[in-house]
Amino acid sequence: MVAELTESIVKILFIFGVNIGFFSPILGWVERKQSALMQDRVGANRADICGFTIIGLFHPIADAIKVLTKEDFIPDGADRLIHTIAPFISLTPAIIAFAVIPFGGQYDLFGHRVNLIIADLDVGLLFIFAFASLASFGAVLGGWASNNNWSFLGGLRASAQMLSYEVVMGLNIIGVIMVYGTLRLSEIGAMQVDFFNWGIFLQPVGFVLFFTCAIAENKRAPFDVAEAESELVAGYFTEYSGMKFVMFWMGEFLEIVTIGGLVTTMFFGAWHLPFVSDLMLLDFFSFAGPNGASILAILVNITTFFAKVIFFIWLQMTIRWTLPRFRYDQVMRLGWKMFLPIVLINIFITGLVLLAK
Amino acid sequence: MADLDSTNKYPVMGISIEKLKPKRVRKNIELTLWERLYIFEIVRGMTITTKHFVVNMFGFILPPKGKKRAIITVYYPEEKVTLPPAYRGRPVLVMRENGTEKCVACGLCESICPASAISIIAEERENGERYPSSYSLDMSRCVYCGFCEEVCPKEAVVMSAEYEGLAKRDRNSLHYTKEMLLRPEKSVKDRLEYIRGIYSKCNY
Repeated sequence: MVAELTESIVKILFIFGVNIGFFSPILGWVERKQSALMQDRVGANRADICGFTIIGLFHPIADAIKVLTKEDFIPDGADRLIHTIAPFISLTPAIIAFAVIPFGGQYDLFGHRVNLIIADLDVGLLFIFAFASLASFGAVLGGWASNNNWSFLGGLRASAQMLSYEVVMGLNIIGVIMVYGTLRLSEIGAMQVDFFNWGIFLQPVGFVLFFTCAIAENKRAPFDVAEAESELVAGYFTEYSGMKFVMFWMGEFLEIVTIGGLVTTMFFGAWHLPFVSDLMLLDFFSFAGPNGASILAILVNITTFFAKVIFFIWLQMTIRWTLPRFRYDQVMRLGWKMFLPIVLINIFITGLVLLAK
Repeated sequence: MADLDSTNKYPVMGISIEKLKPKRVRKNIELTLWERLYIFEIVRGMTITTKHFVVNMFGFILPPKGKKRAIITVYYPEEKVTLPPAYRGRPVLVMRENGTEKCVACGLCESICPASAISIIAEERENGERYPSSYSLDMSRCVYCGFCEEVCPKEAVVMSAEYEGLAKRDRNSLHYTKEMLLRPEKSVKDRLEYIRGIYSKCNY
């Protein structure tokens, strides 16, 4: 009992630390710096402590100080309660979704079976989709409660866009479920021990569509019609300032991490190195004793998983700073008239292949 | 369009009339199948940006030797650009080697100045030479047109390359006196040589 509790607390603290302590502040820096490098600029590098700038890494700290000391502004005529709640609704699902994403396999450690996933739900994928659809409420309520035309339009667009792409995303997952025969993400991860069993080889179309829909779901460019800086000021969070504004951003950044984790788990072999299974790792580290071998294997697997996640974060950032924005009708046409038929055909072909086996 | 066609007897400033015609906007461009698939074009675009990213990131950690860096941003207060001689900065008075000004207080710059920024009080030295006892320039009015430089018969007023300290919180500190404007001839040599090439008073 105590061991299980300790294990859970350690895992929760680890995921919280990685997501909120590391990824969400660092992604603000990454977004600035990566876009700068891609566009032949220098990027933020002026915040310094005693003359040291360490390539602009003090900017997240400066941002945090600025944001915490800013006035929390609620516009006249806004619904104060909903206006305050909306950023929380938008941030919480992004944090919670990581609870069912495995970042490692199962290991024997000090006579105790350690499963590197916070909540090993047997409906993990459905859980993630349930919470991802909750996130759209944050945008809609935030847009509605602000008493601002731009916010309202942004909220409307966000709701329409997220609903449309959720359909495609949900159908898209069916292909993955058909291939692996389970909704439990840790099982999906464990099945990808064999390199040629990775989701990208079994569901290549599914990967492209899932990744695109996930970016659309996250309302980032090229699908940022809900935010639409060139049309709607800042879309649904036009009227937000200070910490609430940053909570929307944190939600967005954490969703990037979650998308990276999901894509890694479903299509890129989860915590596995190519051609290396957990048993091979344990054999390789057997010189350190059973517990030492487990610890080393855990470290290698967690590193592998987060390296993959970081690659997908990088990919999402690259897409965001490369592609021009879609028009609103183009977003809708892409979702309903192109992705939906492709997804249905994908399910059909997957079914045929599974039958033929 | 009809108006442009009727006037094509007279080309404007050496530019052919064809270039002045507005280009036809190509609407309804037929995309090839490859382009309509979109994903390959996305990959192509991402290859370009990734190339920039990788090159810049390695240049960022290890600046390539001898090779010009791709990022050409100038870190302003620490680095400064070398301005071309055509740049018109703060107008200054050219100083002779003996410390006196070249200006003979003819008042041409004062009268041509479109913003009335210059005001001169002329006096005469004992050897009969005219000089400005006071030459004041109101930089809050100066529009950097360079007319004073063009009109000056003695090459005494020159637009220097100075661009710093032109914005102040107090208008009174933008009033420059003769002493504040005097610069040795060496510091504005490039500009002096340049204006000899462009103004008709020098190159007819």
